[in-house]
Parts: sequence; structure tokens; C-alpha cells
Amino acid sequence: MSFLEYQVRFVPTGWRKLLYVNWALVALVTAASLLGILMLYSLAGGRMEPWAGDQLGRFVLGFVVMIAVAMVPITVWRRLAWPIYLLSIGLLVLVDIMGHVGMGAQRWLVLGPIRIQPSEVAKIGLVLALAAYYDWLPTRKVSNPLWMLPPLVMVVLPVVLVLMQPNLGTAVLILGAGGILMFCAGVHWAYFATLLAGIAGAVWAVFESRGKPWQLLHDYQFRRIDTFFDPSQDPLGAGYNITQAKIALGSGGLTGKGFMQGTQSRLNFLPEKHTDFILNTLAEEFGFVGSFALLVIYGLILAFLFHTAVTCRDRFSSLLVTGVGVTVFLLFAVNMLMVMGLAPVVGVPLPLVSYGGSSLLVLLGAFGLAQSAHVHRPR
Amino acid sequence: MRPPPLPELRPLLSALGSALRRGLRHSREGMRRIEAMDRARLRAEARLMVLCGCFFLAFALIGGRMAVFAASEAPEPARGGSIEDPILGTRADIVDRQGRILATNLATHSLYAQPHQMIDPARAARELAAIFPDLNEERLLRDFTGERRFVWIRRQISPEQLQAVHDIGEPGLLFGPREMRLYPNGAIAAHILGGASYGREGVNSAEVIGVAGVERFFDERLRDPDLSDEPLVLSIDLSVQAALEEVLEGGMTLMNAKGATGILMDAHTGEIVAMASLPDFDPNSRPPVATSGDPGDSPLFNRALQGVYELGSVFKIFPVAQGIELGLINAETMIDTRGPMTWGRFRIRDFRNYGPALSATDVIVKSSNIGTSRVALMIGAERQRRFLDSLGLLEPLPLEMVEARTGAPLLPRQWSEISLMTISYGHGLSVSPLHLAAGYAAMVNGGTRVVPTLLRRDEPQAGARVISPQTSRIATSMLRQVVTRGTATFADIPGYEVGGKTGTADKPTPRGGYYDDKVISTFAGMFPASDPRWVIVVTLDEPVETSGAEPRRTAGWTAAPVAAEVIRRAAPLLGLRPQVAAPQGGGVTLAAN
Repeated sequence: MSFLEYQVRFVPTGWRKLLYVNWALVALVTAASLLGILMLYSLAGGRMEPWAGDQLGRFVLGFVVMIAVAMVPITVWRRLAWPIYLLSIGLLVLVDIMGHVGMGAQRWLVLGPIRIQPSEVAKIGLVLALAAYYDWLPTRKVSNPLWMLPPLVMVVLPVVLVLMQPNLGTAVLILGAGGILMFCAGVHWAYFATLLAGIAGAVWAVFESRGKPWQLLHDYQFRRIDTFFDPSQDPLGAGYNITQAKIALGSGGLTGKGFMQGTQSRLNFLPEKHTDFILNTLAEEFGFVGSFALLVIYGLILAFLFHTAVTCRDRFSSLLVTGVGVTVFLLFAVNMLMVMGLAPVVGVPLPLVSYGGSSLLVLLGAFGLAQSAHVHRPR
Repeated sequence: MRPPPLPELRPLLSALGSALRRGLRHSREGMRRIEAMDRARLRAEARLMVLCGCFFLAFALIGGRMAVFAASEAPEPARGGSIEDPILGTRADIVDRQGRILATNLATHSLYAQPHQMIDPARAARELAAIFPDLNEERLLRDFTGERRFVWIRRQISPEQLQAVHDIGEPGLLFGPREMRLYPNGAIAAHILGGASYGREGVNSAEVIGVAGVERFFDERLRDPDLSDEPLVLSIDLSVQAALEEVLEGGMTLMNAKGATGILMDAHTGEIVAMASLPDFDPNSRPPVATSGDPGDSPLFNRALQGVYELGSVFKIFPVAQGIELGLINAETMIDTRGPMTWGRFRIRDFRNYGPALSATDVIVKSSNIGTSRVALMIGAERQRRFLDSLGLLEPLPLEMVEARTGAPLLPRQWSEISLMTISYGHGLSVSPLHLAAGYAAMVNGGTRVVPTLLRRDEPQAGARVISPQTSRIATSMLRQVVTRGTATFADIPGYEVGGKTGTADKPTPRGGYYDDKVISTFAGMFPASDPRWVIVVTLDEPVETSGAEPRRTAGWTAAPVAAEVIRRAAPLLGLRPQVAAPQGGGVTLAAN
């Protein structure tokens, strides 16, 4: 038995697995979550009610779930990938039906004390299923048009179901994560190039059509685009977020006004201040240093995830960890771009920081999956 | 030649050879597989690199944007609404008890500029400065040619100004529709209404928020979209309020007072029908809060509610009524009024010597400090404190105005026997005129506690019993006699059976003593005495009546005639029919103080 083989065969078992958890990643995830709880505490005027206490409880629960998931061998998750994906689709269908029965845009299911948004579960279900699919598929068939169909269906199905809720933000996120994961799985770049060219062409056509007889959009839709590019035209409408972000960061300056000293957020000038726009509070109270620090935390989380992805030997682990990273990236990037007026408002929370139970629990579960891959990779 | 191989080994060798060939083929396939896997791996790594590149760009974009924002100044249109939370422009009206408008909304426009759309900033600045004389042309020009993309110019403009600005023809000057709060009656009921201002402001609408008075107290109710069609009904009667303010204004001028306040309240329901404090202001253009000088001299100061004064002899009815209630005295009990009365190092005097003794009624009618002090000594400090507390005189009134909690009574640090005596004639305890009105209402309405309110309420308050109905009748009769034959004869208005008590209190100096020539002069009373329905309190700040040979400051000469004029004007408006008996000769008496 050569030294190499000996190395390859070693996989930690039992309690020793705990030693092989990527604790740096755990620390970063904890730091981001605690920062969020701190902001929620400040937003409530220095009280645990109504947000910070809840969020802390969920984080503790989610933390336990994360470690538990990490302890389960990755091969078990490989086998559970399809059942989880199908379960999440079933839940989405269920919630759509129940939403119709309940005559409202119901996005969650009540399971005892926990309310779960199936769309959050679907994000991870899709990542698992795509990773399992490309692990099973021989690499030479990856770019075969026929073998491209199943993953496309797998992506489009949850996207359509989530759009029906309607929840545009999550739908965009699922679509993006699926597409990027297919790119990472090695689908030929020509597909993506064609897609991007098509989108660019469509955008060009739309703008070119303005004022011509074959105008493709309504006038009011063009005006919305205008205000998106020049928010000062309508400070109360589309430009509102960018103005608010400027105020928050502008008044926060380099180091911020100090913990619990923010006024802009607490005086109810901001809608959704505890969920999607929590970054403004952070920016106002801890300034550029605080908000950039959060960006750095996310960057390090991604770096650790991608490092695990590269060092994993099997394709499933590698793709799974990449998928988790892509999901986290899309969440915070879309949220931050939205808050700062660089993307339209589509209702995406800041991962780990925003108030919201399902999102936090599912994300911590996803980090658990990545840790499982990290722990059980052969060494 | 090589020796031939052993024939026995031949099958073994051929088997070995084929195994070797198979193995070689196998390993070649393995190599290919490994190579393919390596290619896939390399491709995956390359893809990951591309992804990381894109992610890095996104990081740079977000971080850069953060840095740019953090380095920028907070932009100008600082406050605004959003799509999910539109600014509500509909604020409910406020009306008086008869439904007449006290506060309503008016559509108007704001004026703002978008300098980057301007054709001729210099001309725009010049013409704007001509339309609005208080705008500075250079400053405007600097704003219009600077970096800013948005400049507020005016929060609200008149239709004429709108037309004039429109005529400049500058596309960079824009108007935003919004509502403003309008008080059509001007200064009438100014302190009660308080005023409104803009909260969150946007281009297309602005939020109107209450800043003082009932506008502030009921701000949430007035802004509630579900109640925007339902006006807030106050207990105020606009006609009576206007009459009260007019008479007070005249009385203040006539008596050379620097301030005046008047309250007219329903003795049973506690509804304030009119309440005024002078000097006042116009809530349509609420003056800024004074940053220097005595806040008590500001027109924003509501003397009726925030002005806590030692009100003097008007307090005497309280110990006498309590004495009767406790069975210590009755209306005819003779009380020792020999003076001056010494108590430790204090001496209590009367305005003049009333002889060795007066009946309890005459103690009130002639206003004897010594007499009330003797009664107070019988009652004792603790019982007095509890009695005044039961009238609500020892804590801020729960009135529906934000200013109410600033009108907290000033209590003696220690309720000693000397406090007991001075409080019995209205010194050593400072309360607001509205506190006094509430106390008088309880004295004359049959003896139940009244809490003043500004909301219309149609049924009587079921307040706690303070004194018995019999005691209340005796107190009412005493107050009536003060007007018929005592210190307040100027307050009598034939047919309305006015009763009441005068009080003239020296104003305290900031150092702790009292001024010789500055008084707070008060008339507190009720009408009609046969079945008291209304309570009136009129207080003048530093009045001097100069028609006589020497200046007169006592309430009988200053506050009482003003109160009488208020009653003469207000009683018919309140629907009171004068009970005029057949004239029996000229029974008119005029007595000093």
C-alpha cells in the first residue's frame, strides 16, 4: 500500500468528524448571523422584541441543524438528493394549491411551530439534484443537447411554481443558481454565449424600438427604465432605495454613527427595514467600515466554500459545495445591488443577516451540507 | 539460437502473455479514463476560475458603490415615502361641538428645481428672487449651477406665486402637489389646536403632522386613513370661544395686563366650551419656539394649562367647604378673625381688619385670610392634602393636549402647618387656571370630581364624590353672596345669578420673595347659582386698573368685570335664558375689592 493510497483512503469517522469540520467557515457564518441579530436589536430600539429574540432562537436551532447535517456522510446526502428535490417540488405545488384555496399569496407552510417557505427549500433541493445529475452523467454527454433537457426541466419547474406564488426575487435566484451550476458542471460555453447574446440583442431591440412604430414596450414601461437609470426624477418611486442608501451610507460616513444611534432606519423612513433593507441600518450605524466588513465576511465564506469544492474528489460534493456558494453569492449580491440602486427591487433578503426564519434555517442547513462534503472528502 | 522453451511452460507463457496484453489494454483504457477525468477536472476548475472572476467583479462593484456613497453627502430630498408606504395626505378635519370647521386641508403646491434640466439658471434665480423677496439670488444661482440635481425652493406657495413662477417658463422649476393644514378661523382657539407641519416630504405629496395641541395629541387618529372622513369633534363652541377671546383681548388692554387667560367649562360633563390664552398666535403660521427670554412670555405658552400660579383667595372656598363637609363648621359658625395672626415667625394679615369674628359665610364673602387659616387648622394638613388631591389639584391634568403634562402643580416641599394655612388662602401651592376650574366644578356641581376634557361628551361625568350635595349647595350659596354683597360685585350680570370668588396673589420674584406691584388676579365662578351649569375662570397677569386716583390691582376691580363681560356675552350663546325678576328699585351696590 503506497503512501498515496493510504492518504486517499483516510476518511474521519465517529466523533473525530468534529475535528474535521471547517471551523473557520462556521465562525464566519456565526459572525454574519450575530451581526444581523445585533442590527435587529438596534432596530427595535434596544429590545429583543420583536425581532432579535426570534432570530437568535432560530440561529441556535439552525446551528444545531448545521452541525448535525455535517455529521451525516455525504453519500447519504447523495442518495437523498432526489427525494429532497421531489419533496420541495411537492411542497411548492401544495403551497400553490393551498394559496388558491386560502385566496391569498401564501408562501409558507405551517409545520407545528415552524413555518417553512418551500421556495427556500427548493433552492437547496435544486442544487442537490443538479449535483447528483451531473455526478451520474458521464462527462462526455454533458453538452449533448438531449442530455441538457432534464436539468433544464429541473430548473424551470421550481422557477415556474415560485413565480406563481408570486415571488419574483426567489424565482430569479433559482434560475440564476441553476444556470451557474450548469456552467460549472461543464456545459459547453457556446450555450451561455448564445443566451447572453440573445439577452443583449433583446435589450438593444427594446431601446432601439423606442419612438419607432414597432415600439416593443409601453411608454410607462420606458419611463420606469428611465427612472431606474436616473432616480432623481422620481425620488419617491423607483429612486427611493438608492436615495435611502445614499442617505444611510452618506450619513454613516466612514465609521458610522455608532451602535443604536441610527435615526434614518428607526424613524420608519425605510420600508422592510428589518428584512430586505437591513444593510441600510448597518451602513448608517457602522458606516462604510461596517458594511464593507460584511462584504468581506461573505467573500471569505465564498473563498472557503470554493476551496472545499476544488479539494473534493467526487463530482457530487464539488458541485454541491459550489452550488451552496453560488446561492449565497446570488442572495447577498442581488440584495446589495438592489439596496444600492444597481438592481431593481425584487425582494431578496440579505443571507444570514435579514430577519426571516426559513431563509436562515435553510441557509444553515445548506452550510451543513457543504461541511458534510468537507468532512467526508477522502484525505 | 536460443534454447527452445520448455514445452510444459508454453501454455503458462501464453496465458501470461495474454494477461499482460489484457492488462496493458486495460491500463490504456484506465489512462484514457483518468485523462478524461482530469480534463473534466481541469474544465471544472477553469469554470470555477471564471465564476470567481465574475464574483470578484461583483464584489468590486458593490464595495466601490459603498465607498462612493459613504464619501458622498446625504442628498437633499431627505425624506420621502415609498411605493409600499405612500404618504397619506388626507388628515381628518377638526370641528367644534356644533360641527363648524376648526381645521381642514387645502390643496397647494410645493416648488422645487432640477438644475440639470434648467435652460437659463441665472434668469431663473433672478426672477425667483423677485417673486419671493426673502430668497437670495446668489444663493439660488449657486444651488442651480452646482452639483445638486434636486433643490427644494418652497414648501408651499400661493396660487398667485404658482402662476408667477409658471410664467418664468423655466422647465427646471417644477411644482409638486401637496396638502396644507388650514385654520380658517385664524388665531381663534390657537392654543387648543396647536398647529401642524410637514413630516416626510416628497415631490408628489407630503405628510402633514401635528406639532402641538390636539393636532399633536390626536395625530395618529387624525392620520388614520379609516377615519379620514370622520372629523374630530371638540367640546369647543366656536362662537363662545370667539367671544371669550374678544373680551379677554379688550380686558387685557383696559387693565394694562401683559397676559390673560379664560376658561369656560361645563360643570357636569367637564367639557371645555372655550379656553383662551393671550397673547396668542396664528396656527396657520406658527411662530418658532423662542430660544431666549422667559418661555412664559412666548405667545406659544398656554397660560390656561401650562401657567401654574399661586392663585390666591379663590382657593378659600376649598377649606371652608371641606370644614362644612367634615362637620367642623357650618355656614353660620363664628370664626375668630382677630389679626394679625402670628404662627411661629409668620404673620397672617387680612386686607383690612374685619373685627373679632366673622361667620363662615362672611369669611368667604369678605375674603378673610385669618378666617380660612383658622378653619384649615381645624382640618389639619393631611386631610387638606387628601381633599385637594381628590379634586385633582396635585397632579397634571389628563387633558387631550400634549402640553397638559407640562402643567404640573408645584407642591410645598413639606406639608407643614404653615403650608396648611397659606394653602387655605391660595399661597404655597401653584396650579393652572384649568386645575382651578376643575376644582370649582366639583364644588358647585353637586360635589363630584370633574376631569376637564376637550372632546364633546353628552352625558355628565360619573366622578368620585368629593363633597355632599348639601355642602355643594352651601358653597354655591356662599359664592353667590360674594357677588351680591362681597368682593366681586362687579361680576354680577342681572338674570344669570353669577357666583364666584376673587383672588389677588402677589407674583413671586425669581429670588424667592414677592413683588409689591405685580399680581395675578383671578375670578373663579359659576352661573346660574340656582342650578350651576357653567364654571368660569378668568386670570389676568399683572393687571393695573388706572381709572381711579391710585392704581388698583385687586381682582374685584380687574378680573371680575372682565369675567362679567365674558358671561354677558357667552351666556346667550350657551342658550341660557336670563331669569330677570321684576325690578325692585335700584338694588345696585358697588363695593371695593
